This record gives sequence, C-alpha cells and structure tokens, in this order.
Amino acid sequence: MTPYAFMVETLAEKYDVGRDSITPEATLAELGLDSLTVVELLFDVEDEFEIEVPEERATFETLAEAAALVEELVQAKGA
Amino acid sequence: MPGRRVFVTGLGFVSPHGEDPAAIFEKICLGESAIRMVRTGTPELGADVLLASIDFEPGDRIAKAERVFMARAAQMAVVATRNALDNSGLLVEGLGPDEAGVYMGCGLGGAEILQQAYSTYFGRRRRRSRPTTVPLIMASGPASQVCMQLGIRGPAHTYSIACASSSVAIGEAFRSIRDGYSDVVIAGGAEAMLNDGSVCAWQAVGVVAKEHVDGAGASCRPFDLGRTGLVLGEGAATLILESEERAVSRGAELLAEIVGFGASSDAHKLTEPSVDGQERALRNALKDAGLPAESVGYINAHATGTPAGDPVEIEAVKRAFGPAAKRVAISSTKSVHGHLVGASGALECAITTLALRERRIPPTANLTEADPTCDLDCVAGAGRDVPDLEVALSNSFAFGGSNATLVLRRA
Repeated sequence: MTPYAFMVETLAEKYDVGRDSITPEATLAELGLDSLTVVELLFDVEDEFEIEVPEERATFETLAEAAALVEELVQAKGA
Repeated sequence: MPGRRVFVTGLGFVSPHGEDPAAIFEKICLGESAIRMVRTGTPELGADVLLASIDFEPGDRIAKAERVFMARAAQMAVVATRNALDNSGLLVEGLGPDEAGVYMGCGLGGAEILQQAYSTYFGRRRRRSRPTTVPLIMASGPASQVCMQLGIRGPAHTYSIACASSSVAIGEAFRSIRDGYSDVVIAGGAEAMLNDGSVCAWQAVGVVAKEHVDGAGASCRPFDLGRTGLVLGEGAATLILESEERAVSRGAELLAEIVGFGASSDAHKLTEPSVDGQERALRNALKDAGLPAESVGYINAHATGTPAGDPVEIEAVKRAFGPAAKRVAISSTKSVHGHLVGASGALECAITTLALRERRIPPTANLTEADPTCDLDCVAGAGRDVPDLEVALSNSFAFGGSNATLVLRRA
C-alpha cells in the first residue's frame, strides 16, 4: 500500500473522516484533524512504514505533501 | 445509619456473558462458563492462557474518531454506562442526567496502552511515545470518558483499589446519596488488562488457575477441593443509583435498595488475605445497614478460586455471622465470568441485584467436591430459588488488604 493509500484508509477507518472529503489537495485541518490527532496519524504512518519523521520535516499541510515526505523517507531508509 | 434511601434503578453490562441483563443472569444461573483458552501475546513469547475475554465492539455507540482517545477499559465503561442509563430510562437523546456524579473503579487503567508505549520504547529502541499515552493510561480514564461521552457534569471520582475498586466506588456513591450530597450517581467499574504483559505479570503472582481436565470452562472452581486459582476476565458494569425521592418522583423501576457499606484494611500482607480484616468489613457493613446477620439470605462471595483465599472468606463469614453463618447461602459467580479485578465488584453487585429481584441464587459452577474447610452452605449445581430472599451481600477483598462489603435489600 502506498503512503497516500494508507493515509486515506486510516483517515476513513480510524478517524472516521468521510471518504468523499479526502483528496490529495485536502489539508489535514480541512479534514477536521486537530493537532493531537495529526500527531497520532503521524505515529500510525511511522509504525506502518517503519520510518521516523524528523520533527523539523513535519511541515506538510496537504495529504499529498505528507505522502511525498513519507515516500522520500521510505526510499532513504532502503538506500 | 439513618439517611436518605438509595435505590438501584438501572444496570448496564459489557461482560464476558454479553450485555443483556436477563441473558447474563440466566447464563450465570445455568453455570455456563465464559472462560476459554485464549492464545495471547507475541508469536515468540505468547502462550495459551485461561481468560474470560470479550469480543468487544462498540459499534455506533462510540464514534470511531473518539475511540482513538479512549483505552479499552474506558470504551467498555462508556458502553456499560450507556446501557445502564438506557435500562433506567435516563438516557435522553444519547445523554444522561447532567447533574449526576460518576463513581468508577478501575485497577490498571489503559494497561494495553502502557504496553504499546513500552514496547515501542524498549523493542524499537525509540525514545518516542504517542501523545495520547498519558491521558489513555490514567485509571481515571473510564470516569472521565463517561462524563465526556454522556454529558455528565457532577463529581467524577475514580477508586483504584485493586479487586475492591468498584465495590468501594458503589459504596461511596451510596453514601453520597444517603448523606444528601447527590441525588443520582452512576457507579461501577471497568477493567481491560488482558494484554499479555499484564497477564504474564498475573501468572507470576502464582494465583492463576491451570486448565482443568474437563476443559477451560471447568477451570475456575471456588470452594472446590480441586481448585487451582483464579481466571482473569475483563469488562465493565454500571449501576444507576438514585435517592428514593428522585426515583419515585419519576416513576423509576426500583431494582434493589443499597442499605449498607463496610470497609476495612488488613494491615497484614500484600497478597495474603486476613480473616480479621474481612470479618471487620462484614461487621461494618451490617452495622452500617442496621441489619442483623440473621437477615442475610445470600452472599455473593469474593472467592476467586485460589487455594489460599476461599477458606479465609468462609472463616470471616463464620466469625462475623456467628450461628447465622450456617444459614446463609454463599456462591462465587467468578466461577463462570472470571475475575474482573477493578470491575469485579460492580459486576457482582449487579448480579446480586438481579438475584434479589428474581429471588434466585446463582451457583458456584464447577463445585463438585467441596473443600472441607469451606463448610458453609456453598450453593452449587443449578443454583437455588429462595422465595423469601430479602437481603444479600456482595464481597470484594483486594490485594493490599483492602476489604469492601455492600449490603443490598430487595426493593
């Protein structure tokens, strides 16, 4: 599962975000996630892909930006 | 002690025997065990363990996004409380009475959350923890979530007193109404610590039962000569307590009356029970109720099925009751629902409420050959109908030597 697909599934299944509202351009704030929930989501992603998102890199706003960051970290881990 | 009368007007369960009060009571009376052999833990270190676990699904009763901020015990407490409020007729548009107090018992809080946090720290050598870890592991999580989910704004207290937690919660809730501090209190307990880290720790205490040759369901055998220990369970139970004035004025169904509460401390040993401490809890409870021992028809015993514990409770009853001990019927329903630790007092008080209402004493399942040291009227088999049953006790005696006895009367 790609990082983006994983985030869509997690947002819909765990955080009860309506699938219709989930798009690559949507920001996590627009999807109704408060700051605590964003950090929880980040932990879900880190656990799934066995990566660590450095605090200074956690500046993404949209889902697409978050997915791109995760993909980059996954590739860096494999390198 | 004189004061306002206090009635149970609602019961709610998330129990190893399900959520429906009548069905739960029937299964317990039939001696139907909810204890199974369950594979638990990791592939490398896990084990098959006797447990009374629950296939728990909150469904639409707790929004998915909300569950992220609730440990398993808190989720169970919310659902059991929702069931109790519904049972009492106090659930209106998904909310309970906002002035109610919440008195909950819980032993280990979010045990599974603590396990996850530690396994990340030690297993992955990672100094990072989810931001929800602290608020989820608090033992007060169940009480707080009951308030938040159901719009309850009275005092919210948590009693964490090992196996006596929720009996003390109910006892103190009873007193707050009797003494005029509250008119309605949501009282109960929740416990969900069947994560393998906790189970492993319990096994180390040396009190956990071995699987019986007749199967997992026959393994918890309080008062029986062949008993080998307790079986851990999980779940939540909630009682709605109301002052007589409030309950009668709204036409509530009165399920039972709580008439007394007694507590004591052994000041003895951490895990070894004391006859003296338990005897004093029993005496204090009867004195508080202003009732003689002769009036008690049934005791829902703490008896967990350990070789050391059960005879101590029997001896304490003998000493507190005197000659009346020979005439009181005793049973331990832990034989079929296991030991819910912080929730056990609430579950057993709720079962005792139903026993008074039905005038039917549930049996100690698996009691086939009584231990000669447990030589009182320990009810076995299919239980017993007692047409004149009026007063019953529910005992909870905790590790650490904290003892609690509740006195209930038929309404």
